[in-house]
Amino acid sequence: MGRFPVYQSPDLDEVEQRLRSGLQYHGYLEGDPRALIQILTEDEKAVKEAGLFHDAIARRLRRLTDAAKKGLGDPVVVEERFRVRIEAARGKLPCPWGHPGLYPKTHVELERLDTGERLQWTDLSIHFIEAHGFYQGAQSPYRLDPKKVIGILGLQPEASSPPIPPP
Amino acid sequence: MVQLALGLLAISTLAALLALLLEAAHAVLADYGECRISINEGQKELTVQGGGKLLGTLMDQGIFIPSACGGRGSCGLCKVKVLEGGGPILPTETPYMDEKEIAEQVRLSCQVRVRNDLAIHIPEEFFLIKEYAAVVVGLRPLTPNIKEVHLKLVDPPEITFKPGQFIQFQVPAYPGCPEPIYRAYSIASPAGLKNEIKLVITRVERGLATTYIHTMLKEGDPVRVNGPYGDFYLRHSEREMVLIATGSGLAPLMSILHQMADEKINRRATLYFGVRCKADLFYQEEIQALAERIPGLSYIPVLSAPAPEDAWEGETGYVTDAVARQIEDASNMEAYLCGNPLMINAAVEILVSKGLPEDRIFYDKFA
Ligand SMILES: Cc1cc2nc3c(=O)[nH]c(=O)nc-3n(C[C@H](O)[C@H](O)[C@H](O)COP(=O)(O)OP(=O)(O)OC[C@H]3O[C@@H](n4cnc5c(N)ncnc54)[C@H](O)[C@@H]3O)c2cc1C
Ligand code: FES
Ligand SMILES: [Zn+2]
Repeated sequence: MGRFPVYQSPDLDEVEQRLRSGLQYHGYLEGDPRALIQILTEDEKAVKEAGLFHDAIARRLRRLTDAAKKGLGDPVVVEERFRVRIEAARGKLPCPWGHPGLYPKTHVELERLDTGERLQWTDLSIHFIEAHGFYQGAQSPYRLDPKKVIGILGLQPEASSPPIPPP
Repeated sequence: MVQLALGLLAISTLAALLALLLEAAHAVLADYGECRISINEGQKELTVQGGGKLLGTLMDQGIFIPSACGGRGSCGLCKVKVLEGGGPILPTETPYMDEKEIAEQVRLSCQVRVRNDLAIHIPEEFFLIKEYAAVVVGLRPLTPNIKEVHLKLVDPPEITFKPGQFIQFQVPAYPGCPEPIYRAYSIASPAGLKNEIKLVITRVERGLATTYIHTMLKEGDPVRVNGPYGDFYLRHSEREMVLIATGSGLAPLMSILHQMADEKINRRATLYFGVRCKADLFYQEEIQALAERIPGLSYIPVLSAPAPEDAWEGETGYVTDAVARQIEDASNMEAYLCGNPLMINAAVEILVSKGLPEDRIFYDKFA
């Protein structure tokens, strides 16, 4: 589990370099000139203002992913509100933060049935949120703007989430 | 608050300086000279320039250790036994080891630096793994999302593999992917065709390798592959077989079916192939031709979402539903699974519930 807020450090500089220069096709910071620390700080603020914690958002996305898995690639309706579908390729990929662990190459699409709003994410996206409070750059294909995610998924303030100790 | 920020800044700067100093010291001072690596009790002796990581040093000498993370210490696949000279196990390695492995001096070869003479032990089959220069001689769309990549091997010109095994394909650097990357692809062609291999590759959303292979790779391009790897291959027995594939997971099963036809292995076998609609089916003529050569083979394609124009009268639903419907008792069978990892989990569950012991269900665990 991550420690928030995140501070500037040589490690974070290295991560930012990896996110920007390496593997651009993954587009983690695509089209976003803001420094990584600024992206992390602004998204952290948005989550806090909504009375939530990163792990609550990650947990919700994981539950929807698990529901989508039951469809083995075909769409599944969840809670009569969402249509979710998952594609799962073989193979796993490491997190660009560079710690041990590999994440399945998945692609989840969600459509909210009443509004037609859409979101997409992957197993790595959920890990990013949970462990690094990272929702990706403004133009990233898997950008999960916290306000948008909270709105579409109808997440309520979660006073019961455990407070995270300062670093 | 300001004091805290200044303190943090000072610590960050200090840490950065220390990291730089360490790197500089390593570059200037770390001349480890020549080191000897003795493999499998002297079966092979190497003299190498010290200083590099064991994984890369062995690779430079033509000995390939499986890896899926490019040596970043995050896949846990590059295990070898370092019997002498490896130093203490590092904290970056322990998450991947159990107690038995630690006692047996198993190490992650991408984390061990060659600083002195080493004695190591690797599985015999690693000696068969080679790097091949090859050329693309055919690219054929099999479905809207899947391409067949046909390679002719140039140097060395022949490969020996067990049907079901996979190779690692090197995708060169291209705009958007600044360094070469390796990805695993199962061999679909028969093992008897020693100087060529066919791969079946699904395009993956935002995939580094598959975007390159589907949109940039051309006939005539030189490519590099290494292998073979993996313990997904046909076991010798007389048991009835159930083979289950989705999408490009059909590839290794095609190679296994070619082996059965070529070696006249006439076990009873049923191939279940699950896709969404008729347009996603491929290798249909090849499967029919194999069924004529393997009298015990039955083929059941299963569509999960047939289009109205498909006028489909065959099995529908998930491929695992069809398996559940068709198989009463799997206790004497052997199963070979390949494809979507979600399907694999569901298939294992169903087969176990039908009495098949898990040690007779084969699939690429890492996939
Ligand atoms: C033993 C084995 C055999 C295999 N055989 C075959 C085979 O025969 N045929 C075949 O087609 N495949 C096969 N594979 C799979 C193959 O090795 C690759 O994993 C696959 O082709 C995808 O590689 P890629 O480089 O295109 O995708 P990658 O670039 O490695 O990964 C793409 C995935 O990364 C994630 N991602 C990308 N960008 C982001 C982002 N911004 N935020 C969050 N997540 C993101 C998504 O999940 C995306 O789907 C096999 C794998 C194994 C392990
Ligand atoms: S190569 Fe992946 S852990 Fe060593
Ligand atoms: Zn991470």
